[in-house]
Amino acid sequence: MLIVLALAGCSQEARRLVPGPPQTAPNGNADPRIPAYQENLYQISQGGRYFAWYGCSACHGEDAAGPANLADGDWRHGGGFANVFAVIGERHAGQDYAARTPVEQRWQLTAYVRDLSRHHAEKRRRIMLDQKAEPQGSAWLGPQ
Amino acid sequence: MAWSAMKRRIALVPGAVPAALTGACAGIQSPLAPASDQAFALHDLLILMTAVCGLIYLLVIAGLVWSVLRARQHAKRAAAAPVDDSALDRSLIASAVIIVTGLTVLIFGSFLADRALLAARAEKAMMVRVTGHQWWWRIEYRNPATGRWVETANELHLPLGRTTRVELASNDVIHSFWVPNVSGKIDMIPGRRNMLDLTPRRSGWFRGACAEFCGAQHAHMALDVRVDDPVAFDAWLAGQAEAARKAQGPGEALFGLHCGSCHAVRGTPANGRAGPDLTHFAARRSIAAGTLPMTRGALQGWIAQPQALKPGTAMPAVPLRPAEADAVASYLAALR
Repeated sequence: MLIVLALAGCSQEARRLVPGPPQTAPNGNADPRIPAYQENLYQISQGGRYFAWYGCSACHGEDAAGPANLADGDWRHGGGFANVFAVIGERHAGQDYAARTPVEQRWQLTAYVRDLSRHHAEKRRRIMLDQKAEPQGSAWLGPQ
Repeated sequence: MAWSAMKRRIALVPGAVPAALTGACAGIQSPLAPASDQAFALHDLLILMTAVCGLIYLLVIAGLVWSVLRARQHAKRAAAAPVDDSALDRSLIASAVIIVTGLTVLIFGSFLADRALLAARAEKAMMVRVTGHQWWWRIEYRNPATGRWVETANELHLPLGRTTRVELASNDVIHSFWVPNVSGKIDMIPGRRNMLDLTPRRSGWFRGACAEFCGAQHAHMALDVRVDDPVAFDAWLAGQAEAARKAQGPGEALFGLHCGSCHAVRGTPANGRAGPDLTHFAARRSIAAGTLPMTRGALQGWIAQPQALKPGTAMPAVPLRPAEADAVASYLAALR
């Protein structure tokens, strides 16, 4: 039983090295490129990393309330992949994430944000601890 | 005529192989061309080990040949002669003495090499921090004027004749620091700080590489090492400590917007720490940890399609219009 469970996890983080990651926004909520991001734990965890690096957690932290809470499964502008992707780039007045973040990173951020409702508190804490030692801004003093 | 030319070419081949082998010995990435006290100690140990092991190898082969020949002669004689064990005893004692002597010499040589590697520990040394990332090197010096850390990447400069203490760490997986002409190799382990003392004795360019498989682009994780006389080194370090000069054109603003989340250029709003510090980028020799030479074409290609040149690198393809990419490349090419 344990072996079967372990084997089932084998390809969850599989990382394909291809020269052409997406360079355009998703074409609707049924874009065929979506599963490669939404169902891949590597891409989701990269999204979590950029979530911290771009400062998203300043407003969308764990204790965020109302529309800023991304983990409650309640989406004001629709919860489809293309909907969330568009909101990140276009509906953050004054931040211009469409210019600041490369397209592929926005794919990863979208996958992460849509996965958040499945992240329980311990998982989020563990990710935060893992990322503490990563270089984020001028406060970083080298690896811990 | 064609036949004679071919014969001449074939005749060249046996000469070409040793020439190619010895050519590798004098290179910029070779432990056989030592350029520092520590590399000399390791080089001496290597020579001693090759000599002792080579000698014992030759003795073993000679003994084997001798015993085969002797067994043939014995087989011709009558098998009824009485067995004499004294010769066997003598040869066993002789081989034990040879093995113990060889091992003693090697242990003593290794002890001396260890002492030489640690000899500089007591001295006052300049500190440099080198951090391994997938797949590049973060390098930090202490600015002698202010005492603050100055960051650069992928190019290590060392002063000739002075001891530098390199503090090695890793940000993600296990890497290994190895500049064969200047140092032995030592692992960079997450959560640990390893130390290495380097006292260069020959100036010039050398090449280091990550020596522990660290992921898809392990082979593209190289390090340029420059050994300079102390005056030139001090001037270089003072230059590195300065902020970037004010740039003309739209490149700086574009860089700050599109690249500044991950890259820092001191003196501008770009202050990201995830990627290499690019404050004096164009003064370096190569791009992306030795992947490409520092040319305008390579720079423009790297900005446009990093994933095609180094698949898996943390640098994403940033969507820039051609004129914008050109402005960013011009800006970077002027960061000296």
